Order: sequence, then C-alpha cells, then structure tokens
Amino acid sequence: MRGPLKLEVWKMGFVNYLDALKLQEKLVSDRKLCRIPDTLLSLQHPPTYTLGKRRTDHNLLIPASELKNIGAELHYTQRGGDITFHGPHQAILYPIISLREIGLGARNYVEKLESTMIELSSLYGVKACAGQKGETGVWVGERKIGAIGVRISHGITSHGLAFNIDPDLKYFKHIVPCGITDKEVTSLRRETSTVLPSEEVIHEQLISCFARLFGYNTVVWKENPSILSDHEEIA
Amino acid sequence: MALRIWASSTANALKLSCASKPHLSLSRCFSTVLDGLKYAESHEWVKHEGSVATIGITDHAQDHLGEVVFVELPEPGGSVSKGKGFGAVESVKATSDVNSPISGEIIEVNTKLSEAPGLINKSPYEDGWMIKVKPSSPTELESLMGSKEYTKFCEEEDASH
Repeated sequence: MRGPLKLEVWKMGFVNYLDALKLQEKLVSDRKLCRIPDTLLSLQHPPTYTLGKRRTDHNLLIPASELKNIGAELHYTQRGGDITFHGPHQAILYPIISLREIGLGARNYVEKLESTMIELSSLYGVKACAGQKGETGVWVGERKIGAIGVRISHGITSHGLAFNIDPDLKYFKHIVPCGITDKEVTSLRRETSTVLPSEEVIHEQLISCFARLFGYNTVVWKENPSILSDHEEIA
Repeated sequence: MALRIWASSTANALKLSCASKPHLSLSRCFSTVLDGLKYAESHEWVKHEGSVATIGITDHAQDHLGEVVFVELPEPGGSVSKGKGFGAVESVKATSDVNSPISGEIIEVNTKLSEAPGLINKSPYEDGWMIKVKPSSPTELESLMGSKEYTKFCEEEDASH
C-alpha cells in the first residue's frame, strides 16, 4: 500500500480570515509542487461571515453595511458550501493535503472530516452524526454542531471544517446557516454536561482525531508559526 | 416507447452506455471507461471528432465526487490550456476544479448543466459533457491515456488507501 504518511500541524491561534486565505493559497501551491508535506492549520477567526463559490448572499439576513456594527467581516471564497459564520470559541481545521496521494475523492474526504468532528463529540458523550443527503456537516439531532466547506484544486485541499466549541450563537441569527432554514445551530458547550477542558486541549483532541482517521503515522507540531515567510509579505 | 425508457434506465443502473456508441471496457471498480476516448490523470475525458474536441469528467470522477449540485463553466470564445483549470463542480460542500486535458478555443459550453448539474452524475460521457474546444495542438492528445491505461490508473489510485 502506501508508505508512512507525515502530517505537519500549525497551531496558529487567532488569525484574520484574509491572512489565513492567503496563507492557504501559498501552501496549496507549495503542496502541489511537493515542497511541503500534508499540512494542517489549526486556528480560530475573529467574527467573520463567509460565502462559498455559489455566492448565496440571499442567505445573509442583515445588510452587509451593518456587519461592521456587530463587529464582523464578510468574505467571498471559492470553497463549496453555503454561508457560514466563524468566530471565537469555534475550532477550525484547514487541511492542505494531497487527496491523490491518499487515494481519496471529494466524497470520502468530506465523510472523514465529518467523522473527525463526530469522534471529537463522542469524547464528551455527545452523539453526533453526519447530515442527510444534501446536508453535509455534523449534527446532534436537528442541531448543527460542525460545518464543512472545502476547495479541491489539482487534488490539493484547502478550507475545511469548523467545530462549535462555545461560539456566540447569536451571530448565526443573522444568516440562514448553510442555507438550511429550519434547523438550529448548537455547540459542544450546549450539548454536553461534561465540564470542558481548556480550548487548547479540545483543539489538540480534534487534531488527533483527524490524524488518526486519515492514517497519519507521523505528526509534527509547529507552535506559533509565522504566517509570513522570510522573503515575502502578505500585502 | 416504454421499452426504450426501460432499456435506458436499466442501462443507466448498470452504468452502460446506450445506443451505438464506442464499446465499453468495465473496470474492476465498476466505473465505466469508454474506448475511443482519451483520458487525463485528473479524470477528465476528451472525445476528438474532426476539428472539435468534447471534454467532460469521467464516471470514476463523478462517483468519487458525489452528487453534483453546481457547475461553473467558462464562456464560449475563451481559451483553455492543457492542465489548467477551466471550471469547477460542487458536490458535498466541496468545489473541485476541472482541468482541460488539451489547449484550444472554447466553441460551446453545455448550458444545460446550470439547471441540471446532476447530468454529470447520470451521464458523464454524454449529456454531462462540459465544453467543446477547437484544439490548438492536436499532438497533445497523444500524451493522454487510452481506455486500458486509464482503467489501470484508476485501479491503482483506488488501491492506494
């Protein structure tokens, strides 16, 4: 079968959405040229609404001009999926990996991202499951706890998953989350009676679930990586 | 009429191509691969007929993508370059770039795909075609894979996980 698989994990803390997007573009290019191994970005964003390639901005329920008043940004992206919100206390993983090298198609890849969040939820006694057809994501009953939106270019992934640890769910009231009208959004805090450890621990558990499900034998951790390389600036 | 509809849906269920088209070689993983087409490693196919090349994604590709819900295509009159992206498909919240196996001028795009993106899943080699191109370097076709090579390529790719 395949040889040993290495994953390099960047623990990044809070990152502005556009900075993360530019970093991902660079890493996708590097990964395509085999300059870097499979890489996983682990981070959080300040309050940010994002739209996917289909630009479903009819699912933003307040005027874009009012977003500044609620302290949020809006960005259009090339990922799949509908409108979503990212914010503090939501764990985000952006895998920059070569699907061709591990022999996965889009469908199987997304299923494994769902499984990553399902497994993490089970560590806290929360029974989560993948969505029905057309409702990709992770659900606890009728409530969505994890979202997915991915881009695949020349077989290399970017964007990824967002898992609600304890974000301010009021931000979701300003959108039709993922374009699904009659379902709620929830969080790990809401769904478990277990006392939650520090968020750093939960992030590490999420990363471990990902690494295990994708079959990485070697995981290298990069703490506080700079998003700027020596020779370039993010303009 | 009823017999033809039945035959067509049975053929679809068995993933066989209807009517008088190039004959099939079924791969072990049950994705259809048609003889007479050329294939790229990124799972696009090309059908070269005279001065027109039709391009789409393969049965293997659509199966691995899941249900296609959105297709982004270029405008006619634009150009494509071998190995470069010309559009994208969205399935299961993933947008996947589609790359052109050859270079040339886009002469037609399949506008049916905006209303019926699922045609790519149901009929990847026929109704789900994506663009028609006037090839600028016909020799590029020679470096693409034939059906037997592509079948083997898919089997090896699927075995790697």
